[in-house]
Amino acid sequence: MATEVKLPRLGQGMESGTIVKWLKAEGDPVEKGEPLYELDTEKVTQEVEAEASGVLLRIAVQEGEVEVGRTVAVIGEAGEEVAEPSDEAGPTPAAAAPSDDGAEQSAEKPAEAPAREPERERGREASASPGTPPRQVEEPAQSRANGGRVKASPLARRIARERGIDLASLSGTGPEGRVVAEDVERAAVAPVTAAPAFAPAADEVEVVALTSTRKTIARRLTEAWQAPVFQLSVSADMSRVLALREQLVARLREGEAKPTVNDVLTKVCAAALVRHRAVNAHYAGDAIHRFSAAHVGIAVAAPNGLVVPVIRNAERRTLADVAAARAEVVARARDGKLQREDLEGGTFTISNLGMYGVEQFVAVLNPPQVAILAVGSAEERPLVQDDQLVVRPQVQLTATFDHRAVDGADGAEFLATVKAFLEEPGLAL
Amino acid sequence: MPEISYREAVRDALSRAMREDDDVFVMGEDIAEMGGSMGVTQGMLDEFGPERVRNTPISEMAIVGAGIGAAMQGMRPVVEIMYEDFLTLSLEQIVNQAAKHRYMSGGQLKVPVTIRTQGGAGWSPGAQHAQQLEAWLVHIPGLKVVFASTPEDVRGLLWSAIYDDNPVVFFEHRTLYGIKGEVPEEIEPIELGKARIHRQGEDVTVVATGRLVHEALAAAQEAEAQGVSVEVFDPRTLQPLDERALIDSVKKTNRCVVAHEAVVRGGYGAEIAAVVQHGAFDWLDAPVERVGAKFVPLPFAPVMEEFVVPHAADVLEAIYRTVGRTA
Repeated sequence: MATEVKLPRLGQGMESGTIVKWLKAEGDPVEKGEPLYELDTEKVTQEVEAEASGVLLRIAVQEGEVEVGRTVAVIGEAGEEVAEPSDEAGPTPAAAAPSDDGAEQSAEKPAEAPAREPERERGREASASPGTPPRQVEEPAQSRANGGRVKASPLARRIARERGIDLASLSGTGPEGRVVAEDVERAAVAPVTAAPAFAPAADEVEVVALTSTRKTIARRLTEAWQAPVFQLSVSADMSRVLALREQLVARLREGEAKPTVNDVLTKVCAAALVRHRAVNAHYAGDAIHRFSAAHVGIAVAAPNGLVVPVIRNAERRTLADVAAARAEVVARARDGKLQREDLEGGTFTISNLGMYGVEQFVAVLNPPQVAILAVGSAEERPLVQDDQLVVRPQVQLTATFDHRAVDGADGAEFLATVKAFLEEPGLAL
Repeated sequence: MPEISYREAVRDALSRAMREDDDVFVMGEDIAEMGGSMGVTQGMLDEFGPERVRNTPISEMAIVGAGIGAAMQGMRPVVEIMYEDFLTLSLEQIVNQAAKHRYMSGGQLKVPVTIRTQGGAGWSPGAQHAQQLEAWLVHIPGLKVVFASTPEDVRGLLWSAIYDDNPVVFFEHRTLYGIKGEVPEEIEPIELGKARIHRQGEDVTVVATGRLVHEALAAAQEAEAQGVSVEVFDPRTLQPLDERALIDSVKKTNRCVVAHEAVVRGGYGAEIAAVVQHGAFDWLDAPVERVGAKFVPLPFAPVMEEFVVPHAADVLEAIYRTVGRTA
């Protein structure tokens, strides 16, 4: 069985190397441990030894820069057929494969220990698809074993999960093509766009390194952008809400947080959400999770960027309670002192740009939530009421829904309830 | 701080306990006039007399049994099994008596006996005199198991073992008796169940016991020169195990090697590996590597013995495997 010679990682952080020259030619016999080629890394030029004995069947990369883990040659038996090395082909069988059997491992040199994993993978594939010849599977990454499962370390899996990176898109540089944490880290920072067509002079550009918050925002919003969404808008007469707020402010006691229009919105949305649970939900890929409690996230412009702290069980809180919780969490957001728990578990989000005079806008979904409400400024506008033209403070509400989880009618009913509650807050009781 | 040998450190802990406390005495084969096969108890007969430094017949079961009896009667005996290979003869007393009485009496009895023993390869004593059997004892609820690797540790841990109200099996490694190290002027007891990190590192945690702590430190130094930063972690007490410190260390380095002189199969490293994979699963970036003796009876021939038991080079290879490099 042929052994693919992959470019080894010779130091922490090494990502590529430059092949200077081959010390063997195609067709030459090779002994394990013999110098095979000269490799130039950032630090040194050194001879790389063969990992297997046999005949050098093919040199895939004659010279030049090569990423760590790429196949540069194939060693096998004389006369053996070599498939065009897809450079990201199946798992390497030999190459320093640590056996998980400790006793044998120390009894033999590791490189000589048979790699068990590929054996098992082959067996699995054979039984999974009878009749299909088990060879040459078109797979994008070497880390994807024949059985379809990507071989990755638990740490690499966790980092990929946290950053929304698809492991199958990565090329593993660990033993047997395993994706290790460093591969995921590298993918996370790899530029995705091509270089710009023009390069502005250096002094015209301010380069702002992404903070981790900014990175999270970028990742999550890109993810959100992929959801099929639709928007619905209504306007609501805010007379009663403003009057209610005035009364509450007038009765405010020492040390209590002053309720804002947004607090009323939080409370009202929570009351509407528990009546329309289709909207109070998460889209989980294979299921929709509907919640009985409304954990309302409120978008806050913090110094480092947007954060969305969550007011938990808002439907059960009094308005004073919502105001107190909001005041506390917003203060911490502005100080950059939010805890992870403050940001987790939201079932719905409210984004309010009314204070900036924005009359109406569309917000981007906050996944896995299925709905977000964009709130504009309350403006005095003419309104026809009982055939009379009246002037009322009105607000434009635009909700964005994830159509995978919510249908138009569900969304419309929810919004109608929000409007009704705003216009007659007593209904929300 | 004075510098003393591991051997002197053991003797110092025993002697100080005996000076302070009439309940402490030592008992074992050839420990009196001869001062023990490893010279640990040399001079103690002169200081404490034959009542408290007691020679015994070659009868391991009786030695431990007598220790258990004395312990149940309120003494704090330290009995010595000359080679840990001979623990096998006393296992009935250790496993079925010492480990059980406190439990079976509902706490009315306690058995504060310390069973000191030593073993290990390095001098070619052959298949029956050089084994590392600590894993056998870790498997028994009711026992505490200690394996000390430095003069400072062996003294502080032995003190704690003597004053622990439970039976403690206390392993020493033959090749360590001569090593020297600084110790505090006064004995500082070391809590049983508290690990020691000999060296901080970022890339790999090597969990090592006994002689392999020193091999791991040598391997770590070499790895460091190659740009791999190694943390060397000595649990010191095998039972109870300092799981928190262990998991914290692996969460930091994301990779783990376990190294002991005992054979790999069924060794204490298997327990460490299991604890690590469960407690730090999502932090592991490589399989846990095990280093230990090959699965054969220890050969007598020195070159063969050296071939069978692990050394720094084996630890280094395992370190490199976890970071995906070849030495």
